[in-house]
Amino acid sequence: MSDVPNKTGLAPDVAPDVAPGFSPLSADLKVGATTQVILKAALRDLAKEWIAQGKVVAGPVKTKPGLILYAPLASAEEIVWEGFVHPANSAKEFVFPRHELLCRYQMEGNRVELTNGGVEVAAQILIAVRPCDAAALPILDHVFNWDYRDESYNRRREATTVVTLACASHDESCFCTSVGLGPQSERGSDVMLFDLGDAYEVRCLTEKGRALFAGRTQASERTAPPNLGPEPRFSPEHIKKFVDEHFSSPFWQDETLACLGCGACAYNCPTCHCFDIVDEGNGQHGERVRNWDSCQFAQFTLHASGHNPRPDQGSRQRQRVLHKFSIYPEKFGEILCTGCGNCTRNCPEGQGLLTLLTGIEHA
Amino acid sequence: MSEANQFEPKIVAYVCNWCTYLGADLAGTTRLEYPANVRIIRLPCTGRIDFNLLIKAFEIGADAVLVSGCHPGDCHYTAGNYHARRRWILFRELLDTLGFDLRRIYFTWISAAEGRKWQEEITRITEETRQLGPYRELYQKNGFRRPAPPPPPKPPAPNKSAMAAQEQQLRETCTRLLTEGTVQVVIGYGASGPAFIRRAEDVGKLIWNTDCQANLTTYLKRKEIKRLGKAAVVVKGCDERGLVILEKESQIDRQTLRVIGMACDGMGQPKCDTCEVHQPRFADEIIGDVAPGFSPAPADLKVGVTAATHPLDALMKMSPAERMSFWAQEFERCVKCYACRQVCPLCYCERCIGDKNRPVAIDTSATPKGNFAWHITRAFHLAGRCVGCGECTRACPEGIPLGLLNLALARAAEKHFGYQAGMDSKVEPLIGSYALTDKEDFIR
Amino acid sequence: MPDIYTPDLMEVVGVRRHTTDVKSVRIRFQDEERARQFDFRVGQFGIFSAFGYGESTFNICSSSNWKDSLEFCFRKVGRVTEALWRVEEGDTLGFRGPYGNGYPMEKWEGKNLIFLGGGIAMPPIRCAVWYALENRDKYGDITIVYGARTVADLVYVNELEEWAKRDRVRVIQCVDPGGQTAEWKGEVGFVPTVFERAKVAAENSVVLVIGPPIMIKNTLPILEKLGIGADSVYTSLENRMKCGVGKCGRCNAGPVYVCKEGPVFTMEQLQKLPQDY
Repeated sequence: MSDVPNKTGLAPDVAPDVAPGFSPLSADLKVGATTQVILKAALRDLAKEWIAQGKVVAGPVKTKPGLILYAPLASAEEIVWEGFVHPANSAKEFVFPRHELLCRYQMEGNRVELTNGGVEVAAQILIAVRPCDAAALPILDHVFNWDYRDESYNRRREATTVVTLACASHDESCFCTSVGLGPQSERGSDVMLFDLGDAYEVRCLTEKGRALFAGRTQASERTAPPNLGPEPRFSPEHIKKFVDEHFSSPFWQDETLACLGCGACAYNCPTCHCFDIVDEGNGQHGERVRNWDSCQFAQFTLHASGHNPRPDQGSRQRQRVLHKFSIYPEKFGEILCTGCGNCTRNCPEGQGLLTLLTGIEHA
Repeated sequence: MSEANQFEPKIVAYVCNWCTYLGADLAGTTRLEYPANVRIIRLPCTGRIDFNLLIKAFEIGADAVLVSGCHPGDCHYTAGNYHARRRWILFRELLDTLGFDLRRIYFTWISAAEGRKWQEEITRITEETRQLGPYRELYQKNGFRRPAPPPPPKPPAPNKSAMAAQEQQLRETCTRLLTEGTVQVVIGYGASGPAFIRRAEDVGKLIWNTDCQANLTTYLKRKEIKRLGKAAVVVKGCDERGLVILEKESQIDRQTLRVIGMACDGMGQPKCDTCEVHQPRFADEIIGDVAPGFSPAPADLKVGVTAATHPLDALMKMSPAERMSFWAQEFERCVKCYACRQVCPLCYCERCIGDKNRPVAIDTSATPKGNFAWHITRAFHLAGRCVGCGECTRACPEGIPLGLLNLALARAAEKHFGYQAGMDSKVEPLIGSYALTDKEDFIR
Repeated sequence: MPDIYTPDLMEVVGVRRHTTDVKSVRIRFQDEERARQFDFRVGQFGIFSAFGYGESTFNICSSSNWKDSLEFCFRKVGRVTEALWRVEEGDTLGFRGPYGNGYPMEKWEGKNLIFLGGGIAMPPIRCAVWYALENRDKYGDITIVYGARTVADLVYVNELEEWAKRDRVRVIQCVDPGGQTAEWKGEVGFVPTVFERAKVAAENSVVLVIGPPIMIKNTLPILEKLGIGADSVYTSLENRMKCGVGKCGRCNAGPVYVCKEGPVFTMEQLQKLPQDY
């Protein structure tokens, strides 16, 4: 962290103006008191132990040259700790899988036997996730428990401990600071790790986190310098106002011509959660499953009558912005976006939300 | 034959109604015994068989599959079996690339009079499959470690001043096209991705540099673009061949479309290392010249087919089970985002077969079954049409080397039929046509 | 239901064919305990499964007072409805629900009820009509104007005739111009036109109008002229749905999830929503 330029130009021991969601030190820590650290080698050993205990441990893995994905680890050696900004995917797969069994049916004549899909979920530890991925989890909690509780999602959430690695750098696709978060944001994390060079500062934020690291850290006076992250690129209030007031504007059609309507953005987004329910099987037996879906697909809102309320890509892109910056905040008090930048990085044409949002900010 | 614990293979036979089905019937009525391992599915004609049906048979537990129909020349519908033969020659190569066990797939001609041939073939197939054992490798990863990745492509070495001159000339050309009203929109490259210039005063947004990776011809299929009016599209040599196919398939009006071709020395993608189309050939306006040392593309151009060493060669040196393991690992990452489909200029069906549900031909789920079926279909529906622009591979967020499947089919088309896609708009489409001379040396 | 996505198993106890492509099906819970505790409000909908084919969303078109079965009515247009078309008595279907907000029948007490519907919009009106007739003294005059393209497209015809005999109930059936047969004794014309001609008394009324967007668009000015405010005119929206429980992100019209905050809206509410349905 020591090579990150201090953006405010102030000396490091003078607390700078902080970006929202950013806390350089734990709230109850007084100056001169100790932090907890763990040597990097010791953390690798700890991860090895978790794997040996049969827990599912997932983190950034180098799948092939140039491609890093969050994936379950076969060994702790696979974790990629540095040298990249963000994996190509998000960590939502571990609480909201791309394909999930809801129930199984078996027909006998005209009788049906139904077995529930609910599976026992093994304890899982997500390690070295980015703050933008961690923050997505409490944001998703709202919709999955809105009056009707999605127990499959909740079971996975319960079984998951999130060990977040604060960011040391960012790229031009990142915009966490525009949505109230930052490279050191603690939202959604059970444990925060801050890179100190040969060790990590460890901040256990919850009981789950403390249970995981109990007795494995040492007291220290070292602590991570603050990292303010990228300059905010837009104001969410401006976005909400614009999208609420310009529903019928040709802006949407004019500014989204480059979008091809695939699902690369939504599927790699930590907060996108739209899904489809289908039956797969034959006349005798089969499964009812839930799969990821995307509001960008042309048939997403197609009625059986042939009517489609969102018949072109502009109206579908409008829905994306509306959902994330207006509907979700109105209903649940949070923006459905953590500024991770995956949409832009994965878009075959380099689009993603940031292009549209900065376009709105300057409209 | 010992009786205890003998493996009884399950054979699925897709047979045509007019010849093989009657041949099987004849075997029955003349009391010729043949193994009961075969399950017969009757279709009107082998020409009707979507080869995904073969995959489905394996998915539900078949150990071998047979496709059988009328002899060439005897098809009840005149040419259905010729189409099937043409398609089968290509589909076989695709299955081989994916690592399917080709020893378990049989293709025969059996006429209504050949009851004995039916008996012999089924007996032979059953015995051969019994020796092979159950088909357990389907979609299996088997813990196989994937081979070393190919070396990274050479980074682009742009001649900056030449590219700047091209950029300037491009803007001048587009200003002219827009002010004269020849086109209402220019589809070009902009600083943050594809740019759609509708007013001459905006041509300054068009750029030309080594970030111009995308194949912009894909936008010609989008209805949001079509309704903007007559279009001009900026293409590189690798992009423009798709226009030949699109014109042949009546998807573009070549008279009203203006094609602006940019001479290109490479964008740093793997395809650039073996590119032979640095100079566009079909464009209305060609901007720039190729670097010295590159001659205009030869008449017998075989783009992408004759690369000296290619990951596909390494793949084909593996055993089928290893290849299947490779693809099973790759497809495990597929999330069904359909970026590969949306980015392809030739995937323009208003409603893709992957989105249809009466019947569900391809599971939408991101499971081994759903993913293999999708990628098999995507590759095969592009057979003879894909021009190797490489966009599918570039677009895939999960880094799956999809272009290898398309390349395998392009090589098959070249090897068996001397066919290259997108070179000549007067050539008949590969899958939609057939020749009486199509070789069938592997059809028994 | 053990969880929100696993349906209840239902036995088909009746199938009725109304037209060449419209059927209604009556189902009851296989689980007796579930049957006993199940309740719903008229105007709510359910998600019905044909196992192996998928789920589809339909209004529950039976009265909430009928405890022996639920009923839904559908047009055969796609994969799931084609499978539902083939069900027979004794078959097993799935049911998830009841979902949605339903009609505010308590709020409508003491009012005159006007029901305007076209074609396949009769079923969501039917449940409200039966409910009102079963609590007759709570409601004022009942007027029903129901039309279809042709005589053969009218559904629940026998019930329409039954309702016409009831106390203070006026039923007007109509078909589109050109849709009448030689024997047709009802009106000829589009529902809004026929309704206007009928000179229905408008004071102290609420209106439930369900039908294709064009029909609703043409009905609203007539209701305005009669002095019926947009907060007294109700409709039931349709949007493509999958989960029914406000999670899959598909059915929203602007900020409103039709499956949870609808499908029943007043015109006043609808006019505030963006054109997203």
